[in-house]
Amino acid sequence: MKLTKVKDNAIGFLTLALVLIIWELFARQAQSFYFPPFSTILATFYQDWFSPLFAEHAVPSLVRMFIGYLIASVLGVVIGVLIGSYRGLFETLDPFFEFLRAIPPPIIIPVGLLLLGIGDTMKITVIVFGVFWPVLLNSADGARSISQERLDTARNFGLGRLEAIRRVVFPSALPMIFTGLRVGLALALIMVVISEMIGSTNGLGYYILDAQRTFAVPQMFGGILLLGILGYGLNNLFLLLEARVLSWHHGQAGQQS
Amino acid sequence: MGKGSQSRVLQAINVKGWAFVLLVTALLEAVTRAGLISEYFPPPTEIFGALFGGIVSGEISGQVGATLLAYAEGLALATVLAVFVGVLMGTFRTFDNAVKVVVELLRPVPAVSLIPLAILLFGLGYGMRVSVIAFAAFWPILINTYYGVRGIDPVAIDTARNFGLSRAAILWRVTLPSALPSIATGFRTSAAIALVLTITAELIAGNSGIGYYVAQTEQAAQLPEMYAGILFAGILGYALNVLFRKIEGKALFWGAGYRNRAT
Repeated sequence: MKLTKVKDNAIGFLTLALVLIIWELFARQAQSFYFPPFSTILATFYQDWFSPLFAEHAVPSLVRMFIGYLIASVLGVVIGVLIGSYRGLFETLDPFFEFLRAIPPPIIIPVGLLLLGIGDTMKITVIVFGVFWPVLLNSADGARSISQERLDTARNFGLGRLEAIRRVVFPSALPMIFTGLRVGLALALIMVVISEMIGSTNGLGYYILDAQRTFAVPQMFGGILLLGILGYGLNNLFLLLEARVLSWHHGQAGQQS
Repeated sequence: MGKGSQSRVLQAINVKGWAFVLLVTALLEAVTRAGLISEYFPPPTEIFGALFGGIVSGEISGQVGATLLAYAEGLALATVLAVFVGVLMGTFRTFDNAVKVVVELLRPVPAVSLIPLAILLFGLGYGMRVSVIAFAAFWPILINTYYGVRGIDPVAIDTARNFGLSRAAILWRVTLPSALPSIATGFRTSAAIALVLTITAELIAGNSGIGYYVAQTEQAAQLPEMYAGILFAGILGYALNVLFRKIEGKALFWGAGYRNRAT
């Protein structure tokens, strides 16, 4: 069993190596301006990102993303769970929120530019706008789908309304909340990159677009590579956190059924 | 997104909800007319006027075609490719193992970061937009197709084989229909991402489309027009979402019926 697993993975990495070798050979052969050899990209990557450039471009992107994501997540979860706990309130707000959520988030960047200029406030604000709606609506859905039994039990134990929301509704809604947070994470990454492409003088989005405009092709590929690695790392970090928080939930759900 | 959404669609018109929308609009109107908030927020009536004017004159409606065309082509391209590769991955173990590492490495690359590369390869036009839309929309459909195919009851495949169905017939009559609900779920996720990418590409480097219109009106400081463009994009997003929920509902309904009959 274990040996086949090793073999399976070996085939996968072999394919990857093959793709990279073919890329390398073709790029060397064709001398294409648009596709530099992979070794050149790796060398550029090392040169660029193991240098102060990382602090200059990657760190601001990560900080903006983190702050925006945190604000939107806290607001989205708290407001979402509250709204979802009051049926009448939810129905009243639902069409309004559904419409705001349907607006493709990048299109509000021009508004951000007008109102807030090209600073960090603008970027964090548009990230919050992008992350907030999916977190809010999923949290509300999670809170709404709690069984009446559980709520009644909580009330019978003498929990007040807010206390019942905090201790019973919120934990029950966690799986849906995490669904929203996962969608939000992808959107946060998208929004920070776009906002830096449209109005910025630093950050990874700015770096990649600027490299393209100055025809620094290996640098551009290096920036894309770094964004890919960051995306991969952030996603795995999130999955780890989710597994940890929800392991409790899965255990409990398993016991019940 | 979740369980609640389906019942939400089925609900009759939500009177309270729309009354609230009207209330907010009226409130915004009063506040902006009174000059209580930033001059960057024109009154809603002016925005509606600009929206109506833009639709009639073709300033806005003329851009919809470009947006929808690139959107549909990118999404269609992604769907065909992703279902094809997903079925292959789900069916053939060796192929699955061979491409898995490459897939896992490419999937987390944010599609927006590829826009500069696409500009380099295709220029500012239509091909650039279609390629980044297709890249972004490819992954959710691929993953869902893969899990849909992997989740098929092997007995169903064996039975079909025993009835003498050819490989192609099994694919067409067993594999694809069984995976359809899962594919539809992936498709709806992709459809939402594709719209975000369409607008983004138009904003950053477009020469047509709704995103381009909003970027242009922003630069010209035509505020009601800019907000009208955003409103229009919201309506478009809402309409597409409703449409794809309906499609998914059909596919899921079919899937649920299939499963009930099978057990």
